Amino acid sequence: MAKKVAIIAANGDLATAYKTMNIATAGAASDAEVGIFFTFEGLNIIHREGHQQLSMGPGKEHMAEGFKKAGVPSIGELLDIARESGVKLIGCQMTMDAMGIDKNQLIDGVEVGGAASFLDFAYDADITLSF
Amino acid sequence: MSDKVDQRLDCKGIACPMPVVKTKKAMDQLNPGEVLQVEATDRGSLADLKAWSERSGHQYLGSKEEGDVLHHFIRKSSEGEEKEEQRFPHVVELKELEKRYSDPDLTVLDVREPMEYAFGHIPGAKLIPLGELDERLSELNTDKEIWVICRSGSRSDLASQKLHEKGFQVKNVVPGMKDWQGPTEKEEDE
Repeated sequence: MAKKVAIIAANGDLATAYKTMNIATAGAASDAEVGIFFTFEGLNIIHREGHQQLSMGPGKEHMAEGFKKAGVPSIGELLDIARESGVKLIGCQMTMDAMGIDKNQLIDGVEVGGAASFLDFAYDADITLSF
Repeated sequence: MSDKVDQRLDCKGIACPMPVVKTKKAMDQLNPGEVLQVEATDRGSLADLKAWSERSGHQYLGSKEEGDVLHHFIRKSSEGEEKEEQRFPHVVELKELEKRYSDPDLTVLDVREPMEYAFGHIPGAKLIPLGELDERLSELNTDKEIWVICRSGSRSDLASQKLHEKGFQVKNVVPGMKDWQGPTEKEEDE
């Protein structure tokens, strides 16, 4: 039976986005069923404009350059691959309400749900990760 | 070795997880038994593609380096290849073969594909891929006992049945090269 990977992305910086999306796309490539719950700042990663402006955070700007040099794909590309390969993207309803974010501000293909929707996916997961 | 590759994939200049993501896509397009050659510059691909292949049920044949470029060779397994039932009743264990592979009265016949053979075979083993067996029977010595081996024991089972029908004295070696602990030889490129 296919493995199941449940990921929580709770931060909105570029490093978090890479950690999350690399594991998710590699998981999907290994035929795992992957779901990501984007909550709090993590919503940035699936925000239409937000994901294009992710930064490494103060003092780590040089890392972005290194990523480019090493041929690491953009977060946009990784999001496309994730959606193509069936990764489930769940936006946190509560955070969206609190931050005044509407579903159509998020990239296409995102489901919106609460903690219970994520848990429903995560209960029988083989691996659970939090970034 | 390059003439035994069915498909090539260029993953040069791209980083994790892209070599794995692209390899997965390319493998989905291959037919069972075909070999994919992946060219990558990501050093991590050495461990990653091997792990990915094993996890996905494909066969990681091996790799070689040319300058900065790593060449990976992966064979697509057919579904159920690992589990296929053995029907030929005369089998021998690998331990038996370890004692006797250099016996001059014995022919060790390897029926895997040339690429698999190239990445490691029993010293002195004769290569005839299963698909070529019918037309190459004349190359086999009828006076010698033949022990047939493949990777997991299922192709060699078919070959054993075929040879048995043709009157050869034959045994199927189980499980096969995947668990062989004895010495192996590699075929160097060119």
